[in-house]
Amino acid sequence: MALDFDRSIIGSEFDRTVFAPVTKEAIEDYIAASGEPAANDMAAPPTFVVRLRGHRWMPENMPNLGRTGFDAGKDIAFGVPVRIGDVLTAVSTVHDIYEKTGRTGSMAFVVLRTVVTNQRDDEVAVIDQKMMFR
Amino acid sequence: MILDLHTHSDASEDSRAPVETYMKWLVRKRDLLPIDGIVLTEHRQWNPAADYRPLEDKYGLLILRGAEVETDYGHVLVYGVNDDMTRRFDFTNVRLSAQELIPAVAHMGGLAVPCHPGRPTIGLCEHYEHKPPIDGVVAVEALNGGSRRGENERVQHLIDHYGYHAVGGSDSHLVSFIGICATEFDADIRSIEDLVNTLQQGGYRPLDFRDRLKKDV
Amino acid sequence: MSGRFEDVDVGHDLHTLALTLSGEQVKNYAVAARMPGGRFMSEEEARKEGLPGQIVPGNMSLALFSRLIAESFPGATLKKLSATFRGLVHPGRSFLVHGVVTEKHRTDHGDLVECDLVLESTEGDRWVTGTATVQFPPQE
Repeated sequence: MALDFDRSIIGSEFDRTVFAPVTKEAIEDYIAASGEPAANDMAAPPTFVVRLRGHRWMPENMPNLGRTGFDAGKDIAFGVPVRIGDVLTAVSTVHDIYEKTGRTGSMAFVVLRTVVTNQRDDEVAVIDQKMMFR
Repeated sequence: MILDLHTHSDASEDSRAPVETYMKWLVRKRDLLPIDGIVLTEHRQWNPAADYRPLEDKYGLLILRGAEVETDYGHVLVYGVNDDMTRRFDFTNVRLSAQELIPAVAHMGGLAVPCHPGRPTIGLCEHYEHKPPIDGVVAVEALNGGSRRGENERVQHLIDHYGYHAVGGSDSHLVSFIGICATEFDADIRSIEDLVNTLQQGGYRPLDFRDRLKKDV
Repeated sequence: MSGRFEDVDVGHDLHTLALTLSGEQVKNYAVAARMPGGRFMSEEEARKEGLPGQIVPGNMSLALFSRLIAESFPGATLKKLSATFRGLVHPGRSFLVHGVVTEKHRTDHGDLVECDLVLESTEGDRWVTGTATVQFPPQE
């Protein structure tokens, strides 16, 4: 059956979360676990931003697209680095929803866009996360 | 003449390859990849306004356009897309009827070629195991640069049994995968009409350049 | 590889990482990255979710791509990173992370290098593919 959903969901903001200040321990733990080195001037590694989890990871009125969800990919544009003590804000919207077929059959894809800023309102990252449902 | 018949630019949602960067790469890699041109076969879309003639002139390579659509027999490459086809078939529909699409495309002046036939679920081989063959198939993509081990090998049975012609394409979604598989034509191809006519008649074969690009790691 | 834009050329191969991740390393990453899914924690938890076994989070593959860039271009800044997760990556299986320079250009935003990135099994199955845009510091 073709995807059937309210297209007004696309572009709608579904989460805005302000996080506790970034700690030295969180950065060190991430470096130790990922093997990814600190960015220049002892800032957090670039992919540190993927650990930001908002209050909601999907909109409340998300259409039912399937039983199982998988991370299908990401596009990240990096701005200013994350430093100890930064207070980060993440605002998430539904960027796109579409359908395609692959080796495992018919799949629905949802692209969620999260814009991360710091306490100075500098852009830290724009993360497009592609979720696959089947 | 050697063409990569199955490529995706950043117009396809899962590709990160600008067309111009493909061209620069092919010019630079000419000694390893003797590719004379490519066919852009974007996923589930057709943009009638796209015009790559300036890039053709700048880099001396042919850039033709088609589409990759999704059907109930797997994915299909459509060459010679025109307004009649896009009015009749919604290219964003992932459940097009292959029995309807393939003959209709031919009737409307194009050619539809099932791609990666050996791939599970979205390849022709699996569907032929329990469905009737499709009328009007002339050629299949015997060599796909994105297929996994064993998937290209499954296609030979299809070719032997049904007498299909065989083509090759990279299925590239990244710049450095352009041209790794391609099709060699005996005839000169200068336009999409030339390509459609030649694919219908024969005189071509798939080529595999992947061994030329293997590195020691 | 070099930290100087002038020394980088289109077609240059990046440094290669040859790795086998343990289940413990995967679990540690999932904890540090605040990813609570059972599928990343153990074989048993992953099978409860209908998977064949514990899987490596896509985000960890992204971190490996970032590490590859940092080791290949010391002193440069990662500006963009993309990854498409094409297949499940499991701990205990050897894989390679490598890439190639596909473009370089001088822009108003600095000296930029574009790369293709691949994470693949030692048999050549591509599990993750991606791209990176790297900015080089201005030369004194």
